[in-house]
Amino acid sequence: MLLDLHTHSTASDDSRASIEQYIKWIHILRKKGNEIDGFVVTDHRQFDHDVNYESVSKENGITILKGAELDTDTGHFLVYGITEKITSIINFADVTMSAQKLVDVCDTYGAIAFPAHPGRAGIGFAHYLDNGVKGFETVKTAELLNGSNRPGEGEKAEELIQSKGYNATGGSDAHIVSAIGTCMTLFESNITNETELVTALRSGSFEAVRMDKK
Amino acid sequence: MNNTPLYFEDVEFGDDIGPIIKEVSDQAVIDFVSIREPESEPSRFTSKEVAQSQGLPEAIVPGAMNIALMSQLLTGWSDNVSLLKLDVVFRKTVPHNTPLKFSGIITDKDESGSNNLECDITMENEEGVKLVIGNALIHLPNRP
Repeated sequence: MLLDLHTHSTASDDSRASIEQYIKWIHILRKKGNEIDGFVVTDHRQFDHDVNYESVSKENGITILKGAELDTDTGHFLVYGITEKITSIINFADVTMSAQKLVDVCDTYGAIAFPAHPGRAGIGFAHYLDNGVKGFETVKTAELLNGSNRPGEGEKAEELIQSKGYNATGGSDAHIVSAIGTCMTLFESNITNETELVTALRSGSFEAVRMDKK
Repeated sequence: MNNTPLYFEDVEFGDDIGPIIKEVSDQAVIDFVSIREPESEPSRFTSKEVAQSQGLPEAIVPGAMNIALMSQLLTGWSDNVSLLKLDVVFRKTVPHNTPLKFSGIITDKDESGSNNLECDITMENEEGVKLVIGNALIHLPNRP
């Protein structure tokens, strides 16, 4: 199953793409012969428990799940499997939150958090490790392929992932409609909800892939 | 870019707009800035020294000028295109004197009679880094 694990909707202040527009675009991609089964909405610094994409997912045959991309003291982290318990403990809007605490809370309450675009200067996990940050023993995954990567960032991410033996995900980091699906994660299992996504991410049975656009 | 008139019926989802390559010279920025302030003091837009004193690596293209350049991609696409809305996000500063690639792609087509089209637009540097991204609403007439 091919999921784009990193996308931004208009709920993010720097995105200009709505969920409806992503859905239309995915239909176009599929008509042209491209494969994409769904995507996870990972808006910046927020999570809306009341939003439910289940019916729109079913109507369109596109799996749409929810996560978040959070600013932390150790760079940006992608979070999946978010529950009300987690948002009651972690203030998603706090841009200086402890990444270690975020990872620990997610580990405890059935979610998963790992570095987004770890090779990015200033907001990438790898740079913090280079500067002596320790810990994060339970992190086993990082985003390898990111559709917004700049020159050198992918190499830096790959170096980190290889040296740590992490599992590697892919996501477009789409902020405009046509960017969705440029990078994705290929899972061995079928995923229909956030709980299954967390299980799959913890299993390590996936790989980062690029869409070879047709 | 294209003097051939395009019509609503000619355009499909996924059609490309451009790309076009442009380079913004120091003089072009001075000319742009002086429209608003004819006797303007050196600024981060026109002076490398001022830009560096403000923590920038070099003089940058003003945001309003970037928006104007992005709009030219669309208005230059066809003689009969109308630009209705343009919304951009600045992701990185835009330097002078370096090739900039402007491109767009049609992402939606309103078949209900408005003849409006939505498109994504991007400005990239030579390394493919997106400096400015956004979307636009444009209009094309029906074929006569």
